[in-house]
Amino acid sequence: MKKTSIAFLALFLGITANAQHTHKQEQSDSTKTLEEVTITAIAKRKIETEMKMAVSVDEFLASSDNISFIKRGAYAWEPLLNNMSTERSTITIDGMHVFGACTDKMDPVTSYVESNNLSTIDITSGQEGNMHGATVAGSIDLKRKSTPFGLEKKWNGAYQTGFETNNKQFFNLGNLSYSSDKFVADGSIAFRKAGNYYDGNNNVVNHSQFNKFNTSLGLAYKTGELSSIRVDAIYDKAKDVGFPALPMDLWLSRAIITSASYKQLFEDGLLRVWDSKVYFNAVEHYMDDTKRPENLVHMDMPGWSTTYGLVSKANLKHGEYSSEIQLNVYDNLSIAEMTMYPQDRSKKTMFAYSWPWVTTRFAGLSMNNSWDMSDMSRVNFGGSLGWNYNRSKYVEFNWIFHPGTPQEKNRILPGLHASYELHINQFDFSVGTGYGHRAPSVSEGYGYYIYNSFDRYDYIGNPDLKNEISYEANASAGYKNKRMGIEAKINYFRIENYIVGRILSLGSPMNYQSVGVKGYTSLNHAKLFNMALNANYDILTHLHWKGTVTYARATDDKGGNLPFIRPLSYQTSLYYMHRQFGIRTSANGDFAQENYSPEYGEDLTSAYMVWNLSADYTFSFKNYKAVLQVGAENLFNEHYSTYADWGNIPRMGRNVFTSLKFNF
Amino acid sequence: MKLSDFHSTTWPENRDGFTTHLLITMKKIILFLTVLCFVVVSCTKEKTDYEAEIDTEVTEHHEFKEVYAINSDGYKISIEALNGTFYKGYNEIRLKITGSQTGAEADATAVTFLPIMSNANGDRTSCPHRYDLVYRQDESYFSGYSVFTDESGAERTWELYISFTIAGQTHTVKQNISVSEQTNQNLNMTTFTGKDEQQYFIALVSPQKPKVGENELVAGIYRYNRPTNPPSGDFPDASQFSYTEVSGFTLQLDPRMPEPSMGNHSSPNNKDLTQQNDGLYHGVVNYTMTGNWTLNFILLNQQGQILKGTVVSTDFTPGVVGVKSELHIDILF
Repeated sequence: MKKTSIAFLALFLGITANAQHTHKQEQSDSTKTLEEVTITAIAKRKIETEMKMAVSVDEFLASSDNISFIKRGAYAWEPLLNNMSTERSTITIDGMHVFGACTDKMDPVTSYVESNNLSTIDITSGQEGNMHGATVAGSIDLKRKSTPFGLEKKWNGAYQTGFETNNKQFFNLGNLSYSSDKFVADGSIAFRKAGNYYDGNNNVVNHSQFNKFNTSLGLAYKTGELSSIRVDAIYDKAKDVGFPALPMDLWLSRAIITSASYKQLFEDGLLRVWDSKVYFNAVEHYMDDTKRPENLVHMDMPGWSTTYGLVSKANLKHGEYSSEIQLNVYDNLSIAEMTMYPQDRSKKTMFAYSWPWVTTRFAGLSMNNSWDMSDMSRVNFGGSLGWNYNRSKYVEFNWIFHPGTPQEKNRILPGLHASYELHINQFDFSVGTGYGHRAPSVSEGYGYYIYNSFDRYDYIGNPDLKNEISYEANASAGYKNKRMGIEAKINYFRIENYIVGRILSLGSPMNYQSVGVKGYTSLNHAKLFNMALNANYDILTHLHWKGTVTYARATDDKGGNLPFIRPLSYQTSLYYMHRQFGIRTSANGDFAQENYSPEYGEDLTSAYMVWNLSADYTFSFKNYKAVLQVGAENLFNEHYSTYADWGNIPRMGRNVFTSLKFNF
Repeated sequence: MKLSDFHSTTWPENRDGFTTHLLITMKKIILFLTVLCFVVVSCTKEKTDYEAEIDTEVTEHHEFKEVYAINSDGYKISIEALNGTFYKGYNEIRLKITGSQTGAEADATAVTFLPIMSNANGDRTSCPHRYDLVYRQDESYFSGYSVFTDESGAERTWELYISFTIAGQTHTVKQNISVSEQTNQNLNMTTFTGKDEQQYFIALVSPQKPKVGENELVAGIYRYNRPTNPPSGDFPDASQFSYTEVSGFTLQLDPRMPEPSMGNHSSPNNKDLTQQNDGLYHGVVNYTMTGNWTLNFILLNQQGQILKGTVVSTDFTPGVVGVKSELHIDILF
């Protein structure tokens, strides 16, 4: 529904290009046409939450109502979209596929970017998110910052520094851009360093420190009046990151994410934009369990993930009809090793691959169409067809539990979706449906003795798993006037062959803390239901209220609960802004998780509520604009952990934060 | 958004010069980035060379080479074994008899093979072996085996007694041999007294070089036949040194990793060893990873009675040395 309109944001460049071309003449027809494009619904959001202007990518995502998180510490949270884990969603950076190198999902893609090299994050729910490849839950596309050509102000920059008292996090974020009519450069650099945090009882949560360095550079050159090339690189390094919920920490992880793209705009005709990009990224991730005295045995668990890919996208428009077509091709190699040592490091006791050199190749064509039937109604429809190929180089590891399974596997992944939107006066309605397949992830298909510290089982992949097939329905209704707005959204997924881990009677555990072996198997089906209610109201001219309530329920084929489903939760915030001052307060919390799943290691998590308060002051001196912010999260020092906190690790207690941002 | 937002109206005079300068800078930056890419892409930790690692742990021998050549009565008796060496444990033996002068294959029959070990006290014993060698027509050699129970040393010497008949005449030869230590633990052996008071031998035959995953496990199981009569005739009297390949037994298998760090880890889909047409016992062992493994056995006779071996715990016990069956063989790969 929302996705098609976003496509036109890609015309930024076009507008700019045309602008330069025509700045001494009357505007050309195409420019006029483009000018008429209205951004009807922007799912994009700026990277800052209402509470806090210096947020991490995780904190920003957390403010979205269909994202929740599995947290294993203070860093690298795993985003769940529609209460589904990362295997079920596609997470991309500007359409580029990046795959984490940690078998325990401690490096989701979102951990390799930083808020100051992103402009927005596109979150698309369900099959509408299949533009970037086959998905069930939807897609999260992290959009890099990209300065337009020919800005009046050539140099732009921002510098932000801040301190958070609870975990002594100190951060420095800087970004700089240059824009001329032929050449654009964007650069950013970020450092974050945090110690252990304290919970609501003022107890230190050991092994929750982190260190992160991130830098990015993007260079664009206009090759013609309507075309440009761009090269981008992000380098990210995290070191000494503690995971309090796990028996081990991260020693080092590094990622290099690079791309080169070519964009061509067309003044008239059906084809308006053609944007192609080749990319390469490499991730390495090294765990370290030698810092934990309780470990009598040490295991090295290095992981590597290398991806090459191509994204090519075309935007078509003809009258009331617009369309987006995207080709996605990538090749990924995932390798993860386990080597165990007793206290004496020279005496190796075992070696095995947890990812036995697994290659994944994907090629898929996606299409999204939008037709404005009238001023009041619009139809969106689209689909994707993908080919997914897996190969396990050291297939003998997979043969242990699945004797004779083929070394290679091909899958066809179709996807379809359609929706109808209706706008009547101040009311908006939409209904939609979708159907799609996804292939098992590398861990689900080929994982070998991957230790899951949540349920304390070793997980074994199954190369013969069937595709997960999702049938989806969604609807929304909203009302908006000048002072208030209210919107309700629901979606329902029936997922056949839903992949979960089931206890294997024949396996013998291997990891030190493990209690048994689980194999990935398919449930006949699972059902997921998500609901969100959003409302906002301008109480006074300068006083605004906003609230969100979400509810989700998910069951397996026998009516049992699925794990990591968010209980009834709410966020409410009030903010007052006048002149240079702003003051905000917000509360958020979950009700008790009644529908927990003991089978997957969950227990009852009680309700909690957290209050936050912040104030900011904006001032200028010379050519600089600066914002100073002071605030506190978890003001009343509530001691709590959420339904998705791995090992019931308590969350951070009261955290006073302060930050200062300069723009020039 | 409005067009004017992106509309540049004024430009510096030296715009082109500035752009050129920037382009040069850009090229430098790209060069720098390329170099950075290579630096960064090279991994911090080297990946394990898994294939090479297995090779260094285990040396595999495929080639039969001559161990001894004996010239006697105008015949040359050539004894071949893998790698041209006798090792402790199971050795497949190939024997060729040719004319010393002609080099042509001699028409020998009734070829017998008897290894004898003498210790410092002068006691003489043998070991499981095939006494009557079998002629392999297609390969032109006499086939046998010997399961040497000990290495040669100061305390122990080994001798081979071979006899054969050519043109009605029986020839006997004797050869001192050397038995080396078997460094490949995957060919280990064990000897024990069963509950029936008989002496048994289990020797691993294959795989020489196991792999992660499914391996066909082959072992020979032998019993010493206690002589019923006192020795007679010239030494050696074969009836005093008789061994049989037991038939119809079952060797139950439970492979586990005994190291404390491995917590008694095991593997699925293993198959007990049963006798096949070659007289050896065949089963399946799965190794889930490289490292030290113990093959825990229980030996059952034809009636399914336990001759030796204990059931091992299936519990996962991290930090504790895995308790082995009283009948087991340790291997490493």
